[in-house]
Amino acid sequence: MAECSEIQEGFLCPICHKDMRSPSNLLNHFQDQHSEDQEFLKSLKGIYGKAKKKILKLDDQELQTFKELTQEKFYLDSSDPQEPGPSQRHTNYFKEIRRERLDHRTTETNKLIIRLDRLLRTYGSDRKQQEQELVVWLDGSTVTRCPSCAASFNIARRQHHCRLCGTIMCNNCSHFLPFEAAHAIVAPLNNVSDREYLSKDSDTLRICSHCLDMLECRRKAQIDQMVKPTIWQLYSLLQGNKKQIQSSVELYNKMFNSLTSGETTFLLQDVQALRSLIAEKAQMIDTLSKKIATEMVDSNTPKAAVVQSNIRKSTSNYIKDSLLTLPAPPSVAELEKIRQKLSLSFKEDSGAYPAGAQPVQTVTVTTGWSPAPAKEAEASEEHPLIEQMRIVKNYIDQARKAHRFEEVVSLEENLRMLQDSYRQLQATS
Amino acid sequence: MNVIGAVKAYVDKMTDESEPGMKVLLMDKETTSVISMVYSQSEIQQKEVFLLERIDSPNYANSTGLRYLKCLAFLRPTQRNIELLCSELRNPKYGAYYIYFSNIVAKADIKMLAENDEQEVVKEVLELYMDYLAVNPHLFSMGLPCCMERLAWNQSALQRSVQGLVSVILSLKKSPIIRYQANSKLALDLGSRIEDIMNKESSLFAFGQGGHSLLLILDRRDDPITPLLNQWTYQAMVHELLTINNNRVNLSNIPGVSKELSEVVLSAEQDAFYAKNIFMNYGEIGQNIKQLMDQFQAKAKSHQKIESIADMKSFVESYPQFKKLSGNVTKHVTVVGELSSMVNKYHLLDVSEVEQEISSQNDHSSHLNSVKKVIQDDKIRHTDAAKLVMLYALRYQNHTNNETFGLIELLKKRGVSDKLIKDIVYLLEYAGSHARQSNLFNVEDAVQITKRFFKGLSGVDNVYTQHKPLLHDILEDLVKGRLRENLYPVVGNHSSGLRAQDIIVFIVGGATYEESLTVHSFNKTYPSFNILLGGTTIHNSSSFLEEIENAYRGEAMRMRKHTKHLRNVKFE
Repeated sequence: MAECSEIQEGFLCPICHKDMRSPSNLLNHFQDQHSEDQEFLKSLKGIYGKAKKKILKLDDQELQTFKELTQEKFYLDSSDPQEPGPSQRHTNYFKEIRRERLDHRTTETNKLIIRLDRLLRTYGSDRKQQEQELVVWLDGSTVTRCPSCAASFNIARRQHHCRLCGTIMCNNCSHFLPFEAAHAIVAPLNNVSDREYLSKDSDTLRICSHCLDMLECRRKAQIDQMVKPTIWQLYSLLQGNKKQIQSSVELYNKMFNSLTSGETTFLLQDVQALRSLIAEKAQMIDTLSKKIATEMVDSNTPKAAVVQSNIRKSTSNYIKDSLLTLPAPPSVAELEKIRQKLSLSFKEDSGAYPAGAQPVQTVTVTTGWSPAPAKEAEASEEHPLIEQMRIVKNYIDQARKAHRFEEVVSLEENLRMLQDSYRQLQATS
Repeated sequence: MNVIGAVKAYVDKMTDESEPGMKVLLMDKETTSVISMVYSQSEIQQKEVFLLERIDSPNYANSTGLRYLKCLAFLRPTQRNIELLCSELRNPKYGAYYIYFSNIVAKADIKMLAENDEQEVVKEVLELYMDYLAVNPHLFSMGLPCCMERLAWNQSALQRSVQGLVSVILSLKKSPIIRYQANSKLALDLGSRIEDIMNKESSLFAFGQGGHSLLLILDRRDDPITPLLNQWTYQAMVHELLTINNNRVNLSNIPGVSKELSEVVLSAEQDAFYAKNIFMNYGEIGQNIKQLMDQFQAKAKSHQKIESIADMKSFVESYPQFKKLSGNVTKHVTVVGELSSMVNKYHLLDVSEVEQEISSQNDHSSHLNSVKKVIQDDKIRHTDAAKLVMLYALRYQNHTNNETFGLIELLKKRGVSDKLIKDIVYLLEYAGSHARQSNLFNVEDAVQITKRFFKGLSGVDNVYTQHKPLLHDILEDLVKGRLRENLYPVVGNHSSGLRAQDIIVFIVGGATYEESLTVHSFNKTYPSFNILLGGTTIHNSSSFLEEIENAYRGEAMRMRKHTKHLRNVKFE
């Protein structure tokens, strides 16, 4: 075991003081040479035990007994992120079953909507007849009891028909859908008042509970799709900003590392600008999360308050842990020191930029930013290369203003190449 | 193989798959523990989960929902959960549902759920195999405090253990060969149930095997000594003296403890000091705690003098870490302070020395004297005295001059509770020599004694940590490829000839933190092996005795077979 290397002195034979180098050698040695000494050992053990007890008593700090007798040190390493294990997806099977069941329901609901739309267009004295043309009413002659409450029909409790599906029910089991609500159901997206209806406001449509249920369900789903509470809007704003910060932070770390390792790819003032941009955004999400936390909560949904305060908490944790801990950019003097140190070691390499040998890099705008084209009018009589250079310089300015520092770097590269080729041109001509 | 990493990866998958947006995590009692073992609430909030709900809490069903939240339902696939989820889907509280089951779920249950999803709110249904408590990277538990009734498996505990172990091996992408302790029906039952599932769901277990893996199922009865001993490494000591429950330690019984410290979290994942000291012994922790305090005081001092704007700036920048550090310092100082006061008050060093000697040496008359002396010392706790008698009774069960009868008399005279005295008999019946297949006390031969003696002289071994659990010997045999097949046979028609590098050891009846350290040290010593330890639970001495009492509940103890001579302990 690993103890071997650490406790070399432990393998001395206590009787003849030879170093046996390994525990097994020592054991063999001991068994072969000193087996007669077992009794002696036992008595020695007793003495040792007593001595130890004395030490214990002398020692006022009990901790001490452990301190000297340390064994191999073990501690837990933090666990690295790893790939998730296997998983089994049942979504397709689930949706298949659900579709089979819901297809039927959807067609039923749609049928109701179409009928409802038609019913709403029927007016005038022969309304009842028109209604019956649209929906076949069930023959009531064999129905003696209300199917939903089982009360028997008589003179006092008459049969009624659902205008949507034609089934029979008693008055108590009927529901009345106001025309206004019906219009809203048929055309929820259009403004109802746009169309002129001749019906009176008090008009209602007698329907059964089953049909009402289906219509209600559809309406609820539509409302859920349409209505987004303010907190939802604030939160998406918050997340949008957080995403931007995230990419800025990544860029900042990259720039910071490049800068502190003495590279000249990025400019110090750019790094500082990016840092203040991050700070600005941090301020913004801080305010947003405060706004979310103080957003009014409906007394019916106490959970909303928990959610809102947790959003606030997690945002302030995020700012504390990820943003406040960003390293400050080095000062000019510090930077100078780093550069000097580096230039000493890299002196012989300097100037090894092979002019024109580099492949032409094209500006890759990966994140959807592009500079606005420069005004075309002014550039007419200049050399095309100079004109190009001026345009690129203009782009660099724009990119810097938009905090697109990676683009700045690649644009500057382009500019340098243009300058090189211009110089070559001048030399040859 | 790392169980913490495996569970974390699944949780990340869960939060990532469900698209961005505000989320609520809907769990049951057990899945709540699964997640809380690996992530803190603030970590889970960074994954856009802003609300935690329990589907099995009595007022959940009547509470109002928030339609703008996405619901991640992470549940065990139990009958009750399926029913609760069905009624949830009929009246959805949230806008969309992503359903994750912690284990294999029946097709019929999926069908039932689909039929109840009339509003089409469900977006995903997925099995993610994290049906166990990941305690440390190499240690897991099923959270079953009692797994036996009338000396056989409690059926629901068996079912739970089968599911738990299946999810462990799935989450680690293993399809291991199973070996079990030959004399234990519990181990065999568990092993063959797992083998059945592996055969039935063979497509799930079809991993391209890089190296072979082994699941070794042991029975706590083969080593009843380890859970009885006082412990001296940080984690084990805290568990023995203060009890760790799902990484949480209840300190509310300590007089004068502040409210925020009434329950502290000890998680090696979030607490670097704890991770570093988890296996350190009592003396080293004391030292490290002192260092931590000095470090903290130095920082606090530098924080006190804020003169310039630069000071202020550095204060603001380092404040979050400072706050974290200060919380950590007070926590560990409180915990270690309590440990040390208990050690002093109950003379645990003296007790432990006798414990260690009995468990790893052979000297009947001197051990008997030591035990008698401890029993007569009224500063020692009743439980410690009774536990010493238990150790003695197990150790010298078949010794001709066995004095257990007399020691019980002494305990009675001392006023030790009837419960503890009965525990001695329970323990002998549960794990006496008749119930063990390994020679638990094989350390007594002369070679071993001299070996230890040398170590003692050279200062390597510690008197309080002489004891090595039986698991140590088993693992040594295992890594050397000489674990005997008649004692640890293979389940099913596989050969055990293949030498496994990835080994999962599971102890029916509970593992201990001392064994966790043993496994950890094996992993460090033999880097080519990767060993995990699991148990139905993680025991300390009191939970272990509790489990044994429970195993005998309802059993007619007048019929006891192995302790007839202890006439002074009467049942009914």
